[in-house]
Amino acid sequence: MKHTYSDLQLDALRELANIGSGTAATALSSLLGCPVDVSVPNALAVPLADAVEAAGPPETFTTAVVLPIFGDFEAIVLLLFPPDDAARLCELLGVDPATEVGLSALGEIGNILGSAYVGALGTMTGRALEPRPPQTVTDMLGAIVASVLATGAESTDVALVLDSDLIVEGTECSLSFMLVPSRDGVGEVLEGLGLGE
Amino acid sequence: MTALGTEAMVRMGELQVSRDAGDVLVTIGLGSCIGLALIDRTRPLAGLAHIVLPKSGHDGEAPAAKFADLAVPALLGQLTGLGAIAARLDAVLVGGAQMFSFGSSPTLDIGRRNEEATRAALAEAGIAVRAAATGGSKGRTIRVHVDSGRVLVNEPGSAEVEVYGGAR
Repeated sequence: MKHTYSDLQLDALRELANIGSGTAATALSSLLGCPVDVSVPNALAVPLADAVEAAGPPETFTTAVVLPIFGDFEAIVLLLFPPDDAARLCELLGVDPATEVGLSALGEIGNILGSAYVGALGTMTGRALEPRPPQTVTDMLGAIVASVLATGAESTDVALVLDSDLIVEGTECSLSFMLVPSRDGVGEVLEGLGLGE
Repeated sequence: MTALGTEAMVRMGELQVSRDAGDVLVTIGLGSCIGLALIDRTRPLAGLAHIVLPKSGHDGEAPAAKFADLAVPALLGQLTGLGAIAARLDAVLVGGAQMFSFGSSPTLDIGRRNEEATRAALAEAGIAVRAAATGGSKGRTIRVHVDSGRVLVNEPGSAEVEVYGGAR
């Protein structure tokens, strides 16, 4: 089984992440009523251990919204909110971050942004994708990312991670998106873009 | 060798052994993965494997500790290379949590299956499990002190607790 991707394929995946997160940024912007910037996405195809490290210091206490995608291909969309940023986002929404309401607000943001992202992904690749209800967890970053990567690690030692940051203008608030397609999912995505093997 | 010891990070799918009394073998952020510590009861010698999945398929080049069924013999092999014998090793299991539950899909209860596969491989190798901090839904960090053989675990937001006191 092929374990590497060509530059052209990685470029295409990066562009996909760019459009997906751009769509999500628009959704977040209309939710908060202020402008949201998107960073240039990274497309990393690296060994599992390196993918965990690339996400940030593993001990960082992080709130994550995990959005599984089923349909023509399987993937997991992960939204990561560093703790201070999660709190600021809750403030912008007028909810207390330390409560159930705060957590469910973050879950709802995850749901809206994730659905926007997945919708753009489906349109671009011409595949039918269906997001399942999101789950919100607060735990060590390393444990969250490793557990998500493990779900797709059966047949490959290379993790493909597409990540990008959304930055809410005028605040110190940012969150990051990670798209982790399953092994077959990557092939489907590339095929949908006309870049299959 | 310093008073605080040197922390050696064992990343996803990797394993490490040490007979340097100053070493502490560490994995930060075990979720569904298993941290398997093997500790020699008779001398400062220990190993730690960071297991990701229960069973190997046909992937010949996987990292040594990625699959439980291969990780146990690989870790045991490195320890016996340093003079250990299986009957004098104690096993401690940490991790195997279920952080997410996407319905009932069996592929996603990886934590529990990892623990079962690790225990099965240890039984086959004749190594007894002396302590475990597994299951639940929280991530964990494991520290194995080579000098004393102690194994310390902490979950986010709580203090470090000793799950295994070392037999030396």
